[in-house]
Amino acid sequence: MRYSWLTLLLVALVVAPVGCKKKKVRVGATDEDTPGLKSVLDMGNPKIEPQLLTGFHGIEAGAWRWTAKQFTVALKPPFGSGQKGAKLTVKLTVPPPTIEHLKNVTLLATAGGNALPPETYTTAGDYLYVREIPASLLTGDSLRVDFALDKAIPPSAADIRELGIIVLNIGLESK
Amino acid sequence: MSPAQDGARRRAVNAAWWLAPSLLCLALYWRGFTAWFRGDDLAWLGTGLYIQNLHDFVVALFGPQAQGTIRPLSERAFFMAGFELFGLEALPFKIVVFATQFANLALVASIGARLTGRRAAGFLASVLWVLHASSVLPLGWTCVYNEVLCGFFLLLALHFLIRYTETGERRYYVFQWIAFLAGFGALELNVVYPVIAAAYTLLFTRRYFRTTLPMFAASAAYAVAHAMIAPMQKTGDYAMHFTGAIFGTLATYWTWSVGPPFLYTPLDLPKWVLPVGVAIISAGLLAWAAKKLRPGIVFCIVWYLAVLAPVLPLRDHRTEYYVFLPVIGLCWLGGWALVEARRAVAVALAAIYVFMMLPGLVATAKWNYAVTMRVRALVEGVAGVHERQPSKSILLEGVDTELFYNAILDRPFRLFGVDAVYLSPGSEKHIESHPDLGNIGDFILPGDVVAQGLKKEELVVYDVRGPRLRNVTAMYAAIPQDHALPLRVDAASPLTSYLLGPEWYAPDGDHRWMPGKATLRMGAPSNADQKLYLRGNCPEQQLAAGALPITVTVNGVSTETAIRPGENAFELAIALPPSAVGKKEMTVTVTVGRVLHPASDPRDLGLAFGTFEVR
Repeated sequence: MRYSWLTLLLVALVVAPVGCKKKKVRVGATDEDTPGLKSVLDMGNPKIEPQLLTGFHGIEAGAWRWTAKQFTVALKPPFGSGQKGAKLTVKLTVPPPTIEHLKNVTLLATAGGNALPPETYTTAGDYLYVREIPASLLTGDSLRVDFALDKAIPPSAADIRELGIIVLNIGLESK
Repeated sequence: MSPAQDGARRRAVNAAWWLAPSLLCLALYWRGFTAWFRGDDLAWLGTGLYIQNLHDFVVALFGPQAQGTIRPLSERAFFMAGFELFGLEALPFKIVVFATQFANLALVASIGARLTGRRAAGFLASVLWVLHASSVLPLGWTCVYNEVLCGFFLLLALHFLIRYTETGERRYYVFQWIAFLAGFGALELNVVYPVIAAAYTLLFTRRYFRTTLPMFAASAAYAVAHAMIAPMQKTGDYAMHFTGAIFGTLATYWTWSVGPPFLYTPLDLPKWVLPVGVAIISAGLLAWAAKKLRPGIVFCIVWYLAVLAPVLPLRDHRTEYYVFLPVIGLCWLGGWALVEARRAVAVALAAIYVFMMLPGLVATAKWNYAVTMRVRALVEGVAGVHERQPSKSILLEGVDTELFYNAILDRPFRLFGVDAVYLSPGSEKHIESHPDLGNIGDFILPGDVVAQGLKKEELVVYDVRGPRLRNVTAMYAAIPQDHALPLRVDAASPLTSYLLGPEWYAPDGDHRWMPGKATLRMGAPSNADQKLYLRGNCPEQQLAAGALPITVTVNGVSTETAIRPGENAFELAIALPPSAVGKKEMTVTVTVGRVLHPASDPRDLGLAFGTFEVR
C-alpha cells in the first residue's frame, strides 16, 4: 500500500508538469511606457541612462554621478528652442580630492560639434556651468553634447575608475 | 520513562539523525533552491536543440564538450530531459539537485558512523559538510550538479562496499560496481573511487582488498578512452601542470577546506583573522588525528587527498567547489574529533568553524540568487517582447559585465526560438573583456545598422538596467547614432540586408546564399594589420569536383583563394589592400569558380554566408 502511494506520487510529479507544459519559457512583463528623450537629466534618475552616452559612473547617494575625463549626453531640445535657442546648464561639484590631485580642472563642452567657452575651477565647491546654445543647433530630435576635462584622477588601487568631476544635473532650458 | 515513551524517543532521535542535516541544508541554501539559471546552465539547456537523428543524439550525449568533458548523466541527460519536460522552469532541476544532496548527507552520516563507530560523529560530519561554504555553487548553480551527483555515486559505491564487507553478500559487491560505473556519467573525478575502495579494504578488511583491483582496470580503461576521445588540454586555464605548483595548489585548497573558499568573508575583519582561524582548526584537527592515529583517521585523510588529487595539477584554474567533495573526508575527521575532544575545546573549534563559514556562505548564496534573478528578468522579458512583436529584432541597452557573462554569452534566447537579440553600440565599454570566454563584439549591433533598423521599424530597444525590461525605443531613436558602416556584416540578418548588393538571395535561417558573384558594402580597416574574414558553408557537392576557386575583390584589388575538400564550414582570411585603410567604407565582391545546381533548387548556388568581418 505504502509503495503504491509512493508510485502514484512519483507519477503525478512527473506527469503534472508535462501535462501543464505549454511553453518553454515564462513570458515576463515589460515596461512599455516608451518614454521619449528628456531635456533635463537628473543624475539620480536611472531611467535617463540611455541618454548618458559615455563617461558616467554609477549613481551615488541616489543623486549624483562621478564622470570620467570625457563624458557625453544626448538632450532633447526644449519646446521653441529651435527658434529662440536654449541654455545648457550643468550643475556640478568639484570635490576636494580633484583639486588635491589636480590643482585645477578645466571643463570644455562641444554641442552638436560646436565648441563652447571652457571654464576653469581652481577651488573645490558647487558650480553651475551655463552656456548659450544657438537655435541653429536645436532643430533636430536631439543634441549631442560632448564634455571633456583637461585632466582627471587616473584609476588606482583605491578606486579603479577614472574620476573627473561630480555631476548632479545636465539640461537644456528654453530662453 | 515507560518502554513506549522510550521507543518514541528513540524513533524521534533516529528521525532527527537522518533528517536534521537535510533540513539544515534546505534552511541554509534556500536561495540556491529558489534560484534560476545562469551562465553555463543556459548552454547545457540547449544540448538537445539541434538533435534530428540518432547520431545527433549520441553526439549530444557523449561528444566532448566544454574543456573536453563527457558527463552524459549529470549534464547532458539531466539538462536535455529537464528542458524537454519543464522548459526553463528551474524548480524541478533544483528538486533533483537537493534530493541528491539529501541522499549524500544521509550517506555521509551513515558511512561516518560506521567509520568512527559513533553515530554522533557521523551526524556531526554531515552537519559540518552542510556548513561548508563550498556547497553554495553545487546547490545554487544547476550546472555544478555534476559535483553533487558524482558525490552520490562515490558515497553510494563506498556504502555498498562497506555493506559487502559487513555481510559478505555478493549483491552488495554488484551494487558497488553499478554505482561506480554510473559515476563515470557524472564526473571524471569518479576515476579515484578504486583508490578509496582499496584504502578502505586495506585499512579495515584486508581480505577484500583483491576485490577492488578490477576497478583500477575500469578506471584506467576510462582514462585511456577519455584521453583518446578528448585529449588533455596543453595550454590555457585547464592545462595540467605536473610540477611543484601542485603543492602550492594543495596548500590553497587546504585553507579553503578548513576555512572558507578564497578566504572570503563579507565581515569587516582584520586580514589576519581568517588565516589564524584556519591555523587553529588545522592544528586542532591534525593534532587530534596524529594523537589518535587509527585506520578510520587514515581513511578520512586518504579520501581527502584522493578526491582532491585530480584537480591539483590545474594550477591556473582554482575553483571553490573543487573542495566540495574532498572535504567530506575532513568532515568525517572533524565530526569524530568533536565527539572525542573535551567539550570546551570542541565547542570552541566548532564556533570558529561556523564563524568562518557562515557569513561567506550566506553572502555568496545571496549573490548567486541575485544574479540568477537578473538573468531571469532579462530572458523572460525578451520572451515577452518577442511574443508581442515577433517580427522585430531586439536591441538590449545597459548590459553590464555580470549580465553579459551570465545571460547573453550562452545565447539563451535560442531556447525559445529567438535569435535576433543584440547589444547596443558602445556596450563593450561597460563589459569587461575576457577573450577566452567569448567575443563581446559578436553580440553588438553597429550604430549604422541600428539607425537603419530604427528607421525601418525593424528594431525595438529595451533598457535592461531595472528590475524589468523597459521599452526605450522612442528615446533611443532620437539619440544620434554613429553612422560609420559596420566592420562585421551578418549576411543572414535582415537588419544588415541594406548593405548587400541585389545579387544575394533571400536569407535561409542563419545563412544566405549568393549566386556566382555577389557584392556588399562594409566598414574599412583602420590599420594595415587588419584582415577581412569570410565565414560560411560550402556544401559537399560543391567540393566534389575539387577545390573551389574564390576571388575576393576589395575596392578593385583582387585576391585569389580556394576552399578545399573537407573545409565545408570555412573561414577565409583575406589581406586588405593598403588603399582601403582609413576609408569610410569599402566594397567587397566575392566570385566563385563554379556554381551548384541541386535538383531541388532552381537557383545558381555559389556559397552560403555567414559573416564578413574586418578585425
